Amino acid sequence: MKHPWILILASILLLPLIVRPAIASEIWIFAMFGLGLNLLLGYTGMLSFGQSTFFGSAAYVAGWLLKYYGINVFFALGIGIGVGALSALVVGYLCVQRSGLYFIMLTFALNQLFYFTAYQWTSVTGGEDGMPGVPRPEFFGIDFKDPLVYYAFVSLLFLLSLFLMKKIVESPLGTILQAIRENEVRADAVGYAVPRFKLLAFVIGGAFSGLAGVLYAMLFGIVPLEAISFVFSGNVVFATLIGGSGSLYGPVIGSVLFIWLSESMSNMWARWPLLLGVAFVIVVMFLRGGVVEAWTRFWIWRSSKQRT
Amino acid sequence: MLYALMGLGLSLITGILNIPNFAHGALFAVGAYFLVSFVGVFQNFWIALIVAPLGVAFLGLVIEYAGIRRLYAAGHDYQLLFTFGLALILSESIILVWGPVGSSYLPPPLLRGGVDLGFTFYPKYRLFVMVMAGLLVLATWLFLEKTRYGAIMRAGIENKEMVSLLGIDIHWLFTAAFALGAYLAGIAGALMAPIRGLSPTMGVDMLGIAFVVVALGGLGNLLGAIVAGVLIGIAQALVAAYWIEASTVVIFAVMAAVLLVRPQGLFGIR
Repeated sequence: MKHPWILILASILLLPLIVRPAIASEIWIFAMFGLGLNLLLGYTGMLSFGQSTFFGSAAYVAGWLLKYYGINVFFALGIGIGVGALSALVVGYLCVQRSGLYFIMLTFALNQLFYFTAYQWTSVTGGEDGMPGVPRPEFFGIDFKDPLVYYAFVSLLFLLSLFLMKKIVESPLGTILQAIRENEVRADAVGYAVPRFKLLAFVIGGAFSGLAGVLYAMLFGIVPLEAISFVFSGNVVFATLIGGSGSLYGPVIGSVLFIWLSESMSNMWARWPLLLGVAFVIVVMFLRGGVVEAWTRFWIWRSSKQRT
Repeated sequence: MLYALMGLGLSLITGILNIPNFAHGALFAVGAYFLVSFVGVFQNFWIALIVAPLGVAFLGLVIEYAGIRRLYAAGHDYQLLFTFGLALILSESIILVWGPVGSSYLPPPLLRGGVDLGFTFYPKYRLFVMVMAGLLVLATWLFLEKTRYGAIMRAGIENKEMVSLLGIDIHWLFTAAFALGAYLAGIAGALMAPIRGLSPTMGVDMLGIAFVVVALGGLGNLLGAIVAGVLIGIAQALVAAYWIEASTVVIFAVMAAVLLVRPQGLFGIR
């Protein structure tokens, strides 16, 4: 892929022609969510299984403010980013000192803490029924209720996020994070405060998740309980991995594939998570490395054929 | 006590196999559903209680042999995805086979009703579960501490390379450990069925608790898992007596609090 930006711009323009605008918006929202995870998983080597903690918390808080206090869209986004970053700070603080299996289990267990809080706190979150009635208020004459306008808004924010993430991973910070991924002991020995950088990655990842969470709540007008459940955390890990973690565009491709896949499966059969589980297993067994790597392998294979 | 069983099984699996087993909760749920189905087949609670966990252990054996065995070289991310996918498959299969609506199940007639303990009135079946789970934990503990196979398994937690250098088939060890962990999850589920009833989501709820138990007890620390399991159970019961809504949240809150003070868990060394 020589010109990923052209490809992404083209798909942003073409996508609403192929699928409903709501699905198209969901794809880019999920991609932002994936970008946040990828900074942790792909660039820092931390497999967080609790990303929906930040996504869901932001969706609930911002959705609640939108619903009862009628704050405007940008303020809601700011709140969401703040809540995402803050919850990531708390979770990250508890988790960054551990690594490996402990780390995964901790992120998951803390995810469950937030999930059960949302589940039980029915007066605010609506518990299992979710929190309906999240509005998309007008902003200086821009009517976000129009699905296409909202799609354009989401796409714009997505491009901004992608650009920002590109800057982050190419910055010295991004290099340090990758150094931690490659060899934590050495990064520590060179003098970097590893836990602090990990925490920073967490907070940034959480901010991206929070942004995605608010956009998600406004898109569907509801914060479902699933938005904070571990299934969502698993989905974003899956999307990032099928796209290819460690590459900037991996989660983007993964989200397109994942949302498209789950949408078409859920239309086919009510028990579609079963198919999703099968897809997980197949990917793990046969397609490790994700689409980006499979693509690269294909090109290497092709060019080697042409030479001979 | 059931938490201790779950934690012990998961601690074995994570400790020896070094994989995050997100299907552990699903195995627990399968154990509960197996019990009820086998009761239907044999018309006898006791036979079903023996057969159901064995069925889950066999399922665990197949899972390890067919899938997880190929993934030891892959990263945790793929192992996680695999077990997560398995959990989805298992819990959706439960809905397919037994229906999405939960059901309740009564303990056998012998264990219905309660006993007067002098200071409080306690349901017979719960007493039975406590004794049963206690015996199982003890049995597992004795197996791991006193027998040759147990020693091999504990050695596997400490140092896998050394164990295989000593001429022990490490693959066999992994399979056995996974099956044993699955067995413990299965019997915990089977014992739980008459208390909480059956629901397709019971596995997920239990999974979080099992992870907390392992995180608190220390990875691969079997005694730690037992103690942490009992502690968590008591903490939950105490909170439930005063503020029932918070009883699930408190488990995770306790974990967060402990980890703030002792990041390595209560008994963790690593």
